[in-house]
Amino acid sequence: MTAESDSVPLQHRRLEQIAMTALRVSRLLTECGARVRVAHDGAALIVRGLGVELVGSRTGYASQEITVSSGANTITRMMSVGPHGVNHRLDHALRALAVRVSKGDMTVEETEREMDRLVKETPRHPAWVVALAVGVACAAFGRLLGIDWAAFAPVLLAGLIGQYARHLLLKRGVNSYIVAAAIAFLAAALAGLGARLAGSATINLAMMASMLLLVPGVPATNAQTDIIDGFPTMGSARAVSVIMVMVFATTGVWLAEILLGVQ
Amino acid sequence: MDWLHLLHQACFGAIAAAGFGVLFNFGLRSLVWCGVAGALALAVRTLGQDAGWSLEAASFAAAVTTSCAVRLLREPLGAAGNAMALAGCIPMVPGAFFGQALLGMFAVTAPHAANADATILMAMEYILRVIFTVAAIGAGLAIPAHLLRTREF
Repeated sequence: MTAESDSVPLQHRRLEQIAMTALRVSRLLTECGARVRVAHDGAALIVRGLGVELVGSRTGYASQEITVSSGANTITRMMSVGPHGVNHRLDHALRALAVRVSKGDMTVEETEREMDRLVKETPRHPAWVVALAVGVACAAFGRLLGIDWAAFAPVLLAGLIGQYARHLLLKRGVNSYIVAAAIAFLAAALAGLGARLAGSATINLAMMASMLLLVPGVPATNAQTDIIDGFPTMGSARAVSVIMVMVFATTGVWLAEILLGVQ
Repeated sequence: MDWLHLLHQACFGAIAAAGFGVLFNFGLRSLVWCGVAGALALAVRTLGQDAGWSLEAASFAAAVTTSCAVRLLREPLGAAGNAMALAGCIPMVPGAFFGQALLGMFAVTAPHAANADATILMAMEYILRVIFTVAAIGAGLAIPAHLLRTREF
């Protein structure tokens, strides 16, 4: 009997393709900031739409596993998860794809091609637009915290420069915690200096507001939601990563305060 | 009731939520809804605090209101409603408190810490406020989502 005519290896190859496709959807959803429940549901829709059964799936912070079965054949596969971010449009395009696949009209190859297209073609705002928006958001945050109007423009400018520098550093593959410390230092120093020159009476708050672009708000709430949904491992991992980012970012602000002699 | 303060908080809540919506790659139409969610969340939180509630209680009420509102508006928002409610609540995440708490802890561990008792008390107060406020926001968003189950896909 040749390998081509043996039904067992053929079934395993097919199961493997389906498992890897489902894992890819789940991984991309996780990297886009989706909760574990959403990533698992997305993978389940893909698996069932491609005609096999989902036995179980597990999502960790850095890797995911899935087990699928068809008849007597069962296969388990694992895939690494890349850096966690937030990408709303890709997230929802992937969810829509999972729904389409679940209707049973798409093959594994078509699903993979569509995923390639979504990853490549889902629009992103230009980096300068993101930097400007984040700068404005930091200044708005500052007003909510109580900065005076004199500090508004310095915080906006510091947030803008900080976000653009973060974009460049992350693009170069610099460790995200190191980036948090460096950007917090840069943004807080710029905001503190600018606020001082503008005659602000809220220099401390301005320095703190300028680094709020680094606060991982989505992971912080996702951590809790994951625990509520029954995934405490991922929830705890997210919470620890949030604390780590904040420790590094605060270290950057602390160094900026020493540099500017701000107490 | 200080209407000017309420308007100020709602406006800057909307700007902050929409600004971070750009970072999270929301589309243009969704950004408007992020702004509306941010304005609603900050307005409710401000009303609560003006009524004498703690920051944590006011943040919880704001998150519940925002989460319920996106469910009422599920026709125009679709499955993206949850994400918009979350974006709207981002301006309430107490990142500055977290930073100040950590700076306080750094100060306490300095070789010759001045006013260490007062500083550690302040740092503890900030860290507890961070924990309770983030918990309030997370629970406020999650409870309506679990009780009024809407499609996620």
